[in-house]
Amino acid sequence: MSYTSFSYLLFFLGITYVLYTLFPKKYKYIVLLCMSYLFYIVSSSWLIVFIVLTTFIIYFSAIWIDKINSIFIDVKKNLNRDEKKNLKNKLLWQKKAVVCVMLFFCLGALIFLKYYNLFSEILNFVIFQHIHLELPYLKLLLPLGISFYTLQAISYVIDVYRGKYKADYCLPRVALYLVFFPTIVEGPIGRYDEYAYQLYEGHSFHYENLTFGCQLILWGLFKKLVIADRANLFVNVVFKSPQDYAGFAVIFSIIFYTIQIYTEFSGCMDIVRGSAQIFSVHLPQNFKQPFFSKSINEFWQRWHMTLGTWLRDYVFYSVSLSQPFKKFNQLVKNHCNGYLSKLLPATTALFFVWICNGLWHGASIKYIVYGMYYYVLMVLGMFLEPVFIKVMKIFHIHKETQYFRVFQIIRTCILVNIGMLIFRAKDLTTAWNMFLSCFRDFSLQPLSSYGLRLSDLLMIVCGVVIVFIVGVLKEKGVSIRETIAKRNIVLRWTVYFAALFIVIILGAYGRGYDAVSFIYAQF
Amino acid sequence: MEELLDILKDMKPGVQFENEANLIDDGILDSLDVMNLSVILNDEYDIEITPLDIIPENFKSIESIYALITRLQED
Repeated sequence: MSYTSFSYLLFFLGITYVLYTLFPKKYKYIVLLCMSYLFYIVSSSWLIVFIVLTTFIIYFSAIWIDKINSIFIDVKKNLNRDEKKNLKNKLLWQKKAVVCVMLFFCLGALIFLKYYNLFSEILNFVIFQHIHLELPYLKLLLPLGISFYTLQAISYVIDVYRGKYKADYCLPRVALYLVFFPTIVEGPIGRYDEYAYQLYEGHSFHYENLTFGCQLILWGLFKKLVIADRANLFVNVVFKSPQDYAGFAVIFSIIFYTIQIYTEFSGCMDIVRGSAQIFSVHLPQNFKQPFFSKSINEFWQRWHMTLGTWLRDYVFYSVSLSQPFKKFNQLVKNHCNGYLSKLLPATTALFFVWICNGLWHGASIKYIVYGMYYYVLMVLGMFLEPVFIKVMKIFHIHKETQYFRVFQIIRTCILVNIGMLIFRAKDLTTAWNMFLSCFRDFSLQPLSSYGLRLSDLLMIVCGVVIVFIVGVLKEKGVSIRETIAKRNIVLRWTVYFAALFIVIILGAYGRGYDAVSFIYAQF
Repeated sequence: MEELLDILKDMKPGVQFENEANLIDDGILDSLDVMNLSVILNDEYDIEITPLDIIPENFKSIESIYALITRLQED
């Protein structure tokens, strides 16, 4: 069930909201839980088994870890310092064993279902073909949202393991945290302490949350239906047969794809966060005007933020503060100069983050290269920083000047667009050929040959300008929804109806338009 | 505290750490800096900073970093 479909917006969300409002406060969570499972069954039928099993696994793993923790608390009062240390180490190994079992099942399911064919292809090529063996290709079905809910599941158990919070003994709350219907398809990848309790406790009717939520949904629909689906027309034509195009056509198709994926993914997040807000549940932000970033590092702090923070907390810090890594640090410190010993540990830990980031996006070499592309950019930026500082000194360039900031933003946008080309192209050879074709044959053909009409192009341009203005206002700290809410009733409702009609009339659906499924829903 | 100040100034020259109260929110220390700093502190003070200790509250100022070191040394 797509978040932009009438069946979701009018019926599913509407009925859930009515039931949620009618049910007594104590039992409101049952409505969300049942409707979430219904949503899952409608979208993914029997594959619901995987998310249910994951729920049980993380529920019991966390409780098990909690029991081990309480053993230590009970016994430690009667022990001296050394005995305490020994017991702590012994229990730590038990907790690690529980985490490993949990990872084996949860991460194992994700790795097997999503990456089996990629790894078998690599193994066949590297090893098995030499010994006349072959791992078979399997036609595997991927449960809806497995890449998202698995990360949520892991973060819950690891946070209990690290002692951030205690295990939750309430099974429906754990279940709802994983399966909540607005987040199941494309995230955001929330944390247990961020919103599990918000989901479980019943919220009474709240006018502001209802209206603000609906406005956010409308804004998301505008981005998805008016801009993204229209940009897709042009993107599809060029990317389907890239060998037929060169110069401006390829450059614009890459830019349009960047516009498409941003407006679509951030639009989906607005629909998701709006859907949650009408139930008075506040989900974490996933985008923060990423195209105002001055560096690639900053871009990834503003783009798919919940994935970035997940990788930081559970991959980057886990790797960089682990015992083997400490030994590696020591080794680097003993054998390298100050410059290298400062950069090598960080860049090594970052490698794991970016390989995971690339693989998370998809099971193909293309996505690994996509991750490595950003990794190389970041590492180059770190290693060449002294050179950049020197060059800036020679040419008297000041970092804080407006023109230099604009230059940094444009540079980041260009680098991101190249990344998007790798992401969208059929394979790496196509991406490379398309990249080269950007520098030749700058003749332009009529718009119709790209599958676009002048009105479509105008609407994309106007839509992007509106998104840009809203982005600038947000950067300045202006809350648009609050500003509109403060206006008088006539103006307020005029804005709401205008927005609604713009989406209904200008949305890219009907004859000549294909309904486009969300790109990130395929992960 | 003086020793800690030297470590920080060596890591990020030009920052007036004595006057900064929001090192994380103001973007003075990013995740790479925090990781590098944790590695140095583990070495210098013979402590074990775990991923759980890496929260903005523990790294927002020189005082909070010092408090973290003191707590971990007592553990």
